Amino acid sequence: MDPALQLRGFGLAHRRSGAEEVLLEHVDLELRQGGFFVFVGTSGGGKSSLLRVLAGLTESREPPPRMTGELVVFGEDLASGRASLPQGSVAAVLQDEGLLDELSPRQNVELALTAAGRSRKLAPALLAQAGIPAPPGRIAQLSGGMRKRVAVARALASSPRLLLCDEPTAGLDPAAARDVARVLRAAHDQQPQRTTIVITHDVDAFDGLSDGVLVLDRAARSLRLEQPAWRPAPSTATDPSPRETPELAAAHGIRRWLLQAAAISETVLDSLRRLPPVELGLAARTAARFVLEPALFVAAAGAVIGGLATFFALRNNPIEGGFETALLTGAGKVSAAVLVPMLSGFFFTARVAAGAAARIGTMKRTQQIAALRMMGIRPADYLLTPLVWGMVLATPIVTLGGVVAAALASAFAAQLASGTSAASWATAYFAAVEPRDALVVLAKATLSGYLVALACYHLGTGPKRSGAEVGAAVDAAIVVGMAFVLAVHAVLTFVVYA
Amino acid sequence: MHRLRYLIGLCTLIAAALGALWIVRLLRHADERPGLPLTLEWRDAQGLRAGTDVRYRGVTVGSVRSVAISADGSKAVAQLRLDPSGAGHARVNSSFWIVRPRFRGLTAGASGLDTLVRDPYVAFFTPAERGSALAPGSLLTGSERPPAGSDPEALGDVQHGDLLMTLLVPENHGLKAGSAVIYRGMQTGEVRSVALAPSGTHVEVALRIERRHRQTVTDRSRFWVARPHVSGALLSGFTISDVSALLTPYVSYIGEPGQGVFVQDGFRAAAEAERPDLDVAAVPAAAVAAATAPEASPAPADEVVLVRITYAATERDTLSSDDELLRHGTGVLFVDRAGRAVVVTARALVDGAYTEHDFWWGDPEIVDEQLKVLLPDGTVLRAGRVWVDPEGANLAALVLDGARPDLTGTPSHRIGRPTELPEEAPRCLRAAGPDGGTMPEQELQPGASASAELLGAAVVHDGKLLGLWTFLPGGEGGAVVSLDRLPDDLRPR
Repeated sequence: MDPALQLRGFGLAHRRSGAEEVLLEHVDLELRQGGFFVFVGTSGGGKSSLLRVLAGLTESREPPPRMTGELVVFGEDLASGRASLPQGSVAAVLQDEGLLDELSPRQNVELALTAAGRSRKLAPALLAQAGIPAPPGRIAQLSGGMRKRVAVARALASSPRLLLCDEPTAGLDPAAARDVARVLRAAHDQQPQRTTIVITHDVDAFDGLSDGVLVLDRAARSLRLEQPAWRPAPSTATDPSPRETPELAAAHGIRRWLLQAAAISETVLDSLRRLPPVELGLAARTAARFVLEPALFVAAAGAVIGGLATFFALRNNPIEGGFETALLTGAGKVSAAVLVPMLSGFFFTARVAAGAAARIGTMKRTQQIAALRMMGIRPADYLLTPLVWGMVLATPIVTLGGVVAAALASAFAAQLASGTSAASWATAYFAAVEPRDALVVLAKATLSGYLVALACYHLGTGPKRSGAEVGAAVDAAIVVGMAFVLAVHAVLTFVVYA
Repeated sequence: MHRLRYLIGLCTLIAAALGALWIVRLLRHADERPGLPLTLEWRDAQGLRAGTDVRYRGVTVGSVRSVAISADGSKAVAQLRLDPSGAGHARVNSSFWIVRPRFRGLTAGASGLDTLVRDPYVAFFTPAERGSALAPGSLLTGSERPPAGSDPEALGDVQHGDLLMTLLVPENHGLKAGSAVIYRGMQTGEVRSVALAPSGTHVEVALRIERRHRQTVTDRSRFWVARPHVSGALLSGFTISDVSALLTPYVSYIGEPGQGVFVQDGFRAAAEAERPDLDVAAVPAAAVAAATAPEASPAPADEVVLVRITYAATERDTLSSDDELLRHGTGVLFVDRAGRAVVVTARALVDGAYTEHDFWWGDPEIVDEQLKVLLPDGTVLRAGRVWVDPEGANLAALVLDGARPDLTGTPSHRIGRPTELPEEAPRCLRAAGPDGGTMPEQELQPGASASAELLGAAVVHDGKLLGLWTFLPGGEGGAVVSLDRLPDDLRPR
């Protein structure tokens, strides 16, 4: 039987600006199929990095880790950078679990089953197998141990040949940790060919359950397999820093820039390629949410703008009482065709785009997007397509709502400021407004909505190592989104009317 | 919370949709609102915009719905809609024009200056003789300039009691609506309209004389169109009159006080072809005396209603030229038991046969009698003499022709008897003035004057009418005649 994992002269190094951080060197190792291995080592030694390489979860917008030698998984050499494992053959229980917050625990498992092409009806069995037969309705109601169990159930949905677990017992008390360890072993034993690698610092929790211990020696930058009874020797010596080799900073910068450009292109192409919604219900819900949530906000803003513009135009008219019709006609044209649509786009971006970028950024930060990828779900299908449809549909609707609110407020203001009747106001206000204006407004709103969606998705799915990076992504989404709105409205207005 | 937010959003969208429907309905079905839709055509829209006002006498009564060019490109076509309040004023003879700044020369001045700082708008003018109502959707040809008589600033509103008359002039020397009517250098009225007579033989000028000046117009007044006039001769020197009419022509008239009879509304007079060569009389000495006399007490506000009576007639003489009779005096107005408006006055004021005497034949021949009564509200009515005292007392009763049904007269409880008062009780004389109003009272002294102005004046004590002050013209002293002499059917109800 072929080994599940073969490392021959394998080396692993992180690429950083100006230097390479070497994690492993010249590692030769074989792990048999069907084994349950515990993977230990000091923090920062490269365990999670190796797991991400095995799970295919490397960050596409950053320079990938440099690998040397061979890293063969089920006959595929991942170190070559050209091979990939069959979909569903590898599953991972991530350190932050990556449970999708907006779904229930059961729906998380059902989603993974659907992505793996299996029946959703298996979800209760998988949850029961993970020791949580009756999970609560919301992810937020789960305890730490329950989150791990749901994550395990979801990882088992694709019946993987290689199950990778990153710190599944972290943060749990010894009893809970032992329970989770037993669950993992039981799940492992369900499928004889399954190989399970569990990264942990709590070797005792897996006492008697593992078939071997993978030890990553940070000092030696080596990886070796020890007997199940192996325990780390207590040591007071501080771990040496990983060895760094110099790399040209400029080359690193260019590489990052090219990766960013490629990521932008990928986002644009994905938005077009994945436009037909796979998750139709999700796209419809997103569109409805984007329409309903900001409707009052944008309408109120439009009413304030339209009302004040008319009121002050008439009341503070330097030629008192003069050219009221012309003022109303001008106010109507600029409000309906230019000003209110643009400001509605701003308010919409501030209200919805910020929320969308924050949501996606948080999903990225909490590894929900990684979990999607592990489940074989394209993030573009699950996030980008609904976002694009939502914004492309919602922006024009909300913008029209703002325009109507502005017009109604203008009618009221005209009555208030100069006693203009509704009929006279309507005649004057819309005297210069043409059907073409409505088409231009719809075009501007649709295009700006599309670009704002791209900005939210692209900035939200960027690397997130901290909450601060999520906040920065939200800020950037607002600024870039508004810049898109401004640019689209300015350019189209100029092209059409100038 | 999410559901509430979504519900609020849904409500907002529904409200926006309803608002949009309202606006669309407003725009699409605006023509279905009550009102009068009209189509106006002009050669030039002069910047008229949709949404601007349609005004009548400065009041917004509608709006311009649209402005377009006709299919053949020869006209500008505007769709108008008049509100129900203004639709009734638009008639087949109304003139619609676009108000914009216009300068019509030194004499006519500028108009439409408000449109220097506001949009041009549509105004219309309907002459006093209103035509029939316009049908909805009527297609009218708009005036390219404001029609004569349409300048609202030039025409004052017609007040009750104003004299409306027509002056026939041989030629219009620049008169227009709003031109002044001058009497002794003072404006007493205005020209309402100028129109060529249908026969083309003259020009008909409609005049309005203010109520307080209508007594200046009599059937003897002489009218002319004032324009600079040079008179005189080389040796005697030249006189240039009416120089003030150089820039703005006006109508002028003159009439000596005490001449002629008040005229009623609808009076028509022919103007002189040229300015009559006449001298204006000096201020009468009586007026000077009145101006220096101590101020009389104001007329009391009781219920005794006095009217000004003018009597004119001609006495035919056999061997000499006829005598013209013209008398002004006072009468007491009341409504009799049959509801008629009755004026009781001195017979000497209203019956020439009572006062005149023919040397040869005894009874005079009185012809062309005219009786006009000026009411306190300024109305002039014709009157008929229906009763004179059969026993020869100086008392007569007139019945007014065309009096309003709601005319207020002296009530019966204000009429008393002279015998009810002791001889020494104070009595006052109260007479009607030239403008129809009551003049200040003056105390009745024994042997009081027989001033012509006091003929028929009311003798009043404590707000009660005791009788009329009568005397014979040319005679001396007067007497109080009691109203007890009136027959029952002519007494106040």
